[in-house]
Amino acid sequence: MVMKLPTLPDDIVDEPTPTESDAERAQRFETDALAYLDQLYGAALRMTRNPADAEDLVQETFAKAYASFHQFTPGTNLKAWLYRILTNTFINTYRKKQRQPQQSGSDNIEDWQLARAEAHSSTGLRSAEMEAMDRMPDSAVTDAMNALAPDFRMAVYLADVDGFSYKEIAEIMGTPIGTVMSRLNRGRNQLRKLLADYAREHGLLPGDHDE
Amino acid sequence: MNESDVSREACSHVLERVYQFHDQALTEAEATEIRQHLMACEPCLDHYDVEQAMRLLIRRCFDAEHAPDALRMKLRATYTVVVTDSE
Repeated sequence: MVMKLPTLPDDIVDEPTPTESDAERAQRFETDALAYLDQLYGAALRMTRNPADAEDLVQETFAKAYASFHQFTPGTNLKAWLYRILTNTFINTYRKKQRQPQQSGSDNIEDWQLARAEAHSSTGLRSAEMEAMDRMPDSAVTDAMNALAPDFRMAVYLADVDGFSYKEIAEIMGTPIGTVMSRLNRGRNQLRKLLADYAREHGLLPGDHDE
Repeated sequence: MNESDVSREACSHVLERVYQFHDQALTEAEATEIRQHLMACEPCLDHYDVEQAMRLLIRRCFDAEHAPDALRMKLRATYTVVVTDSE
């Protein structure tokens, strides 16, 4: 089966090193590509939201990457290339399988405007309340991330955890940069609101001094 | 009245771009505009600070994730080169 990868950017169309033997390429794959295992697994876990599917997704990603590794040019962005395969594999396989229930706010155009309107109101966390974040358990952050729509979740994850640029995220997710920015804005606004809700519900805020 | 409208508009303009400012994805001129506003507007600076803290929180939470050892060993075994049998 032919992989559905987005067209590679101009700087990756060079010929692969012609003199490289299969064994050398395999060696290079082991050294270079497998080095990203932890990061890819983390992203896979964020996508699938469960360890068993994340493991399968990572294995499938490496299998596909290995099969087309001769098309990858040494010296270009291997990490982004691997993430693109990961993302495509997830979309083509797991997302259909997972049949996610309706995610909050995914197609709701108003939530972004709402979040903006709320930015100065009591709904968002304030800097005076930032200490609440220090006491926020990891599970609360994980739950909040998992509650986001997959597109938003991945955009935030790729930007904040993996440190990809907008341009790289656009290539990985196969979308225009404007879409990346919109997903990031909306994802972060929703995340912020979810964390604020958590803090409020669990009494992590210093007191009722809203308004 | 006008002044408050203007400032409200300026704030929402800034808040729309705080993320890009954070990501250093703005031009120098745009970044300067945001920077100047942040220095002068407490609520927006607050928003910016919280944004910063939230990013650190996310990174702290997910950075430590490691692939299970069994998966690592399985992949190593799969992709380790066997250099016997070359013709």
